[in-house]
Amino acid sequence: MGLLAWLWYYLWIAPYVLQVVLFGGMVRRRLYRDFPVFFAYTGWEPLAFVVLFSLARRPATTPTLYFTVYCVFLAVSTTLRFGILHEIFASVLKDYATLRRLKSPVFRWGTMVLLLVGLGLVAYARGNNADQNWFLLHAVKQVALILQSGLLFGLFLFLRYLNLSWRNPLFGIALGMGTFASVELAAAAIRARTGYVYTGYLDYVTMGTYHLCVVIWLYYLLVPRRGTGGFGQGSGLQSLPDAADVESWNQELERLLRP
Amino acid sequence: MIITFIIVLLAVFGLIYLARLTRGRTTANHSSADLRAGLRPLDLQAFRNLTDPAEDEYLRSALSRANYRRARRDRLRATLAYVSCAADNAAVLIRLGDAARLSPDPAVTEAAEKLVNSAIRLRLFAFQAAFRLHLGIVLPVVPNPANHLAERYELVTRQGLLLGRMQYPGRGGSVTV
Repeated sequence: MGLLAWLWYYLWIAPYVLQVVLFGGMVRRRLYRDFPVFFAYTGWEPLAFVVLFSLARRPATTPTLYFTVYCVFLAVSTTLRFGILHEIFASVLKDYATLRRLKSPVFRWGTMVLLLVGLGLVAYARGNNADQNWFLLHAVKQVALILQSGLLFGLFLFLRYLNLSWRNPLFGIALGMGTFASVELAAAAIRARTGYVYTGYLDYVTMGTYHLCVVIWLYYLLVPRRGTGGFGQGSGLQSLPDAADVESWNQELERLLRP
Repeated sequence: MIITFIIVLLAVFGLIYLARLTRGRTTANHSSADLRAGLRPLDLQAFRNLTDPAEDEYLRSALSRANYRRARRDRLRATLAYVSCAADNAAVLIRLGDAARLSPDPAVTEAAEKLVNSAIRLRLFAFQAAFRLHLGIVLPVVPNPANHLAERYELVTRQGLLLGRMQYPGRGGSVTV
């Protein structure tokens, strides 16, 4: 077996092994209570991998059977990813009464607008017609990924505008999801356009990205942060200011109020 | 082909943005003094005058139509600068309140939550007002959208001051919200 073949198998298997470790870590730290959908996704992905890997290694498996099972599993994974996005929105906004009321309309309208944009883009982009099923799969995948990345980047920009900080585990989950969605979106767009031409290279890129995402999740969910008792606030003011600080703050604010 | 290229380009920009965000997060260690430096002074009285509908009405009756339009555009531009300043200060107060929510004192936590929520509302309102002010500069029929912004800004600043006094009660004061 050549080096590339080893790399291929490593990138195919390793992320799911790491996800099993992540699953165990989440159970140990009881993080499933905070992120139930992400926990379900972490459990689902290795399970789906075992089934697909076994099918791929079985000589009797026909391409049609593999494709069908792959599509079903992909649909479940995509649904879970939308669930994770909703979980991220809910967790980020739950601490702020003003934003809590905005959560549902923003998520609903954001989804509607992005769905229309995604459908428009995919309808406009005529793909490679060599394999209709292949094109259809990647076109649908593109729409879902446009939705996911649009919602995620929208949330990133929104929180940045409001100067609000992310809690570490949430930031990690969102960072991994954003990285995965961006790379998968680019790959799906190229695949839908070019058919099988670059699929070998793109597989390495997407598998490598997924590996990176699992490492990000492991780091942010299982490695404790310093100074905040485990999992604290993100960047910004990390602790309460001292008395002298507060005093000069007050002077500054008084100055702002002075006519 | 163009659509594919645009999607790939957007995905690359997305990745660059995430990388910068992560890098900024690991290197950022803002002190209270850094945040304080972000506060910009704002003349509340001038802000109130600029957004007062009565002042606008007076100018409309006293000036010719062309002069009024010119004056109104200038006033909207000045208001825009004040709105941007208020929005920046609100962002600083959001961060200050967010940090104060870590306090073990429930009264401070409650005041901090009030401040954060009011400052978020102010920043969202300022965003909306800035958009409509730009529109108003182009289209004279759009009414000044920043009417109550000065009052909101004053309330949020007072809440920030009250929070500071609660964290440092030795100094006393007469701030009410």
